[in-house]
Amino acid sequence: MIGRPEWFKRRKYAGWGLMPATWQGWAYVATMVAVIFGVQALAFLDDEVRIGLMFAIALVFSADIVHMMMRQHVDERERIHEAVAERNALWVMLVVLGVGVAEQAAASAIRGSIRVDPVILAALVGALIAKAATNLYLDRKD
Amino acid sequence: MDTNIAKLRKGLGITQEKLAETCGVTRQTIIALEQGRYNPSLQLAYRVSKALKADRIEDVFRTIDG
Repeated sequence: MIGRPEWFKRRKYAGWGLMPATWQGWAYVATMVAVIFGVQALAFLDDEVRIGLMFAIALVFSADIVHMMMRQHVDERERIHEAVAERNALWVMLVVLGVGVAEQAAASAIRGSIRVDPVILAALVGALIAKAATNLYLDRKD
Repeated sequence: MDTNIAKLRKGLGITQEKLAETCGVTRQTIIALEQGRYNPSLQLAYRVSKALKADRIEDVFRTIDG
């Protein structure tokens, strides 16, 4: 892969993902931005080729960033902190999504038929499945 | 959790950074351990004890209730 995990640190206070921790990390980000804008600036490319190229570049950088995130060294204390922070974030999301579903169901029921955004339902069911699968895996693992 | 980490570490002339590096954790984790704010896993307690050349884990870590 392109980047190295030690160039970045886990984003703790401003979202998810990684942020540069060394000059190499900043150089990586600058290169990524330069490549994206560089491709955009290539006037002789057809729009279809440009879109395809942008998709390929986005795929490569996304895979590289996920790879670096998976290889980040996180000690046990940081892992606990991360797990607690992610759990709290999930609870906030669940409450907001739950309120959203309830509001949509109530509003549509007044009009005669209950309709809820399938994307929200899919997110809730997906989270349910992910939690069950994780607990199943962890119970069997240790 | 009460610990002798700071005392043993200073006795060996090791910095928090060096101990953290030896144990594979961050300096913040060593600080939290020294201040008794974090209860380590058995594996980390063993690694810290070994890095501090202690014979037993109990020489480094003690629970508050004994």
